Amino acid sequence: MAGTGDKYSDEKYAGEFREDFIRNLRIDFFDDEEISAVLRDLDSLDSRIRQKVFALCHTLSHASSSLVPNALKRIKTASGLLPGRDLERWITHAYDILDRQGIGAFADYISGIDDEALRRFSTPEGLPLREIMAVLETYIRGISGRELKIAAARETYTDTSAIFLPAFVNRYEDRDRNYLIYKYCAALAWAQISQGTVTTDEDVLNRFLKEVPAEPDISAFFRMFPDERMAIDIFSILEAVRLETFLEKELPGLMREVKAVKRDFLNDRPLCPEQARKSAFVEGLYRLYLDGEPAEEFQNLTGDIPGDILMLKKNAGVEESMKLLGIMYDLAAGLAGDYQPVIFDPLLCTIRPQEVSLVLKAGRRARRQRLEGMITKLLNMPDFEQQKITLRRAGQQKLPESGKEYLLIKGRLIELDSEMREILQERGMSGGIIVKGADMGGAGSPMTLTDLMEEDEVIEESAGGVKYDEWDYKRGGYKKKWCTLREKNVHPGHDPFVEQTRKRYSGYIRVLRKRFELLRREPRLLRRQKDGDDFDLDAVIDAYSDSHAGLAPSEDLFMKYDRQQRSIAVLFLLDMSGSTKGWINEAEKESLVLMAEALETLGDRYAIFGFSGMKRSNCDFYRIKGFEEPYDGKVKRRISGISPKDYTRMGPPIRHSVKILKAVEERTRLFITLSDGRPEDYDAYKGDYAIEDTRRALTEAREQGIHPFCITIDREAGSYLRHMYGEVNYIVIDDVKKLPNRITEIYRRLTT
Amino acid sequence: MAKVIKTEEFIIREEPFYLATDRETEIFEAAYRNRIPVLLKGPTGCGKTRFMQYMSWRLKRPLITVSCHDDLTASDLVGRYLVQGGETVWIDGPLTKAVRTGGFCYLDEIVEARKDTTVVIHPLADDRRILPIEKRGEVLEAPPEFLLGISYNPGYQSVLKDLKQSTRQRFLALEFTYPDRKLETAIVMHESGMDEEICGRLVILAEKTRNLKDRGLIEGASTRLLIHAAKLISAGIGAEKACSVCVAEPLTDDHEMLEALAELIRSIF
Repeated sequence: MAGTGDKYSDEKYAGEFREDFIRNLRIDFFDDEEISAVLRDLDSLDSRIRQKVFALCHTLSHASSSLVPNALKRIKTASGLLPGRDLERWITHAYDILDRQGIGAFADYISGIDDEALRRFSTPEGLPLREIMAVLETYIRGISGRELKIAAARETYTDTSAIFLPAFVNRYEDRDRNYLIYKYCAALAWAQISQGTVTTDEDVLNRFLKEVPAEPDISAFFRMFPDERMAIDIFSILEAVRLETFLEKELPGLMREVKAVKRDFLNDRPLCPEQARKSAFVEGLYRLYLDGEPAEEFQNLTGDIPGDILMLKKNAGVEESMKLLGIMYDLAAGLAGDYQPVIFDPLLCTIRPQEVSLVLKAGRRARRQRLEGMITKLLNMPDFEQQKITLRRAGQQKLPESGKEYLLIKGRLIELDSEMREILQERGMSGGIIVKGADMGGAGSPMTLTDLMEEDEVIEESAGGVKYDEWDYKRGGYKKKWCTLREKNVHPGHDPFVEQTRKRYSGYIRVLRKRFELLRREPRLLRRQKDGDDFDLDAVIDAYSDSHAGLAPSEDLFMKYDRQQRSIAVLFLLDMSGSTKGWINEAEKESLVLMAEALETLGDRYAIFGFSGMKRSNCDFYRIKGFEEPYDGKVKRRISGISPKDYTRMGPPIRHSVKILKAVEERTRLFITLSDGRPEDYDAYKGDYAIEDTRRALTEAREQGIHPFCITIDREAGSYLRHMYGEVNYIVIDDVKKLPNRITEIYRRLTT
Repeated sequence: MAKVIKTEEFIIREEPFYLATDRETEIFEAAYRNRIPVLLKGPTGCGKTRFMQYMSWRLKRPLITVSCHDDLTASDLVGRYLVQGGETVWIDGPLTKAVRTGGFCYLDEIVEARKDTTVVIHPLADDRRILPIEKRGEVLEAPPEFLLGISYNPGYQSVLKDLKQSTRQRFLALEFTYPDRKLETAIVMHESGMDEEICGRLVILAEKTRNLKDRGLIEGASTRLLIHAAKLISAGIGAEKACSVCVAEPLTDDHEMLEALAELIRSIF
């Protein structure tokens, strides 16, 4: 690179060599269109390799221009397959062949190499992120206890909801150390989130900001610096130094191993004596981070500062780093020349204030919108008729609690939470007053916002179907016959989905059958029976002793093996809402096939239903397999015909399933739902309202002696799940691909 | 050679090591004085049994523990007639023994017992505090010192093994969770004799595995597992190996999860 880089610097690439190159092409009968196509291809290349490729083409054009377009085509293909460093290596290699063995060998090399060979050219021991992504995600979840995602990017950073890591790490030849780099980067990003680097407290920010914006975050902080990039670079390093202490405490093993890696990276870094003074300053700081000790030149440049930096390791907060950034920035700004951004290794977790800001803002905006919608609706509602309160049955009526505050508006009493209070403060409360629960003396009946939103809803009546009540948590009572549910048949599919799935999982199905067979044949020894295969010695001794003692001996003296002990019926309820489109739908269907295989082996009775719909008047309940139906071609075609429909109103289908389950006579009745996140319908069936109704419907199921169990496929499994499903009655599967394998295990665990 | 312990010798003489996390000892004593039976719930290996031992030492009552299983019959708990030298002799079951001696009877993992067996404790667990012994035609009235304790792990997800409401609603329930970092470190140090550094790291590891509950793990690592690991480390087994065999492998068989756990272990040790 160095040799060609000198000769073909960017200016020359744009200037005289380019002219020369074009001239060569013309000599070889390239027309204008062809020339501009070649130049376009060249210009579109990554700047890191552009000069090199240009030099190569230029050399080629001296011998035979006709090779140029072909070579460029191959290079383009290669750039899609090889990561940056390897692409460079590959081009250098081709160039070497051209230099040493001439044009024939070069042409052979470049055209004789197929995509597979190119891929093999990539550093064999390098580690692509995708290979370890799943494990790394579990790793970071374990460490952080948060649902952080991992994604590929050019450098390491985090936007607080995901951690971005380089797509490929090949600093080392061995996988372990490359892996280590990934782990360290991910851990550092987690530290940035958990220790306030990117999620800085408002109070801390306000102490630094000259003007405080409405929603301060670190992007506002960095905007105060004229050279934002330099400030960000300095701060990234300062934070990396500060967070070392935290990471050393949490992950001492990792930090011990990473020391050597840092030293290697330090030794890799070329010394650039010509570096601009400002850049040299940042470079010196970066070296301090890698080395743990300030280099002499840096010490000379900065005086006491290195000591202050190392003080950051003494349990400092982000505030100390921010203070120090101010000092260091001023010092660097005083140096001559412009700041040429220093290139860091993937090891350093950089900061991208805008991206952080976007994620934080999006979160705030979503929450705000939801609340504002509710408030607006509230203000536009007609006055509340007082007598409605008296109509309610006393048992359902909630009373104001003395510790809480309520908003009294238009004759309604509404519970105040902190978010609502905030919005009310912003908008003002035209026509409402805040009262303390203690002052109410138990009068009035408080409600929540969603409650109200439904009051004005137009009721669409439609004929037929089964009516179900819906739980309204604000009201503390049911809306009578609120939803209409209709049973429908799934339109049978014609692709051999079931057969394909059975083929794909054939190995697993064999294991599965064996496992479930074991479950069935597990000899259940029944003791103290009236008849059986053998004497129950304990019972005989008891009877003997009893008769000695003058008591009537028991007649239950036998034991027998029973294989028909299981008396279990299970109903699967499948989410067929629009959001399951794609992978989730596929996985749900595959799971059904595997479950059916297992259950056929086991002999448990089972039924499969699906649900979706839109609004309370159209809750659709799709029959896939009833309890009485055999698992035959018809059912299989219906499974293959399952496709995503509309929304997820969970209450009515749960209530309907319970009704079906209540009719079966098995002793244990199990009800398994498969869904992909929050219940939500087109109308006001959203948020807390939907969660509370679902929770209620599940509680009803339990009260009827049915055991509900919910499987949710949700990467962002929210905290609402625990509330909605109850502590021990659900499981979250983060990766939909795992569902088919997991579901049979879950069933096994549930029923043994 | 195993030592045979007679029930009367079930008085715990040496103070068992127990560090309170909350006001549980106080509550237990209040329950004891007011004759309310106690339900201990919480994940496995977080100190439920140890707490029972500690309380019986503190209140100087003998402790009889029964580990429940699905073949446990009512007569296994109450007692039965045996024939000895041509004569029938009545042998008290552990529950009866505890009632007679005014001790603590602790039924560990009560959900494992058959449901018809569980019912035997009902009259003992309400204000009647009696134990009918059908075969002898006797009804034993429990002395004020008698206390019934049961334990139960709510994380156990089997619909066939749930604690019935009629049983649950006779008890005062104490929830046990994992102790905080400092306390748990002290516990692991005391039980294993390892230094603070190693024990602290083990506790950090445990916290990370507990973060993975319901995200691939059924339950996080218990304090008991940590103590095992610490003991192995003090026996000269390398920390990584010890954590692998004592923490990771017992938790799961899933390969991907084991790999992630191995990475966690490496990062911490």
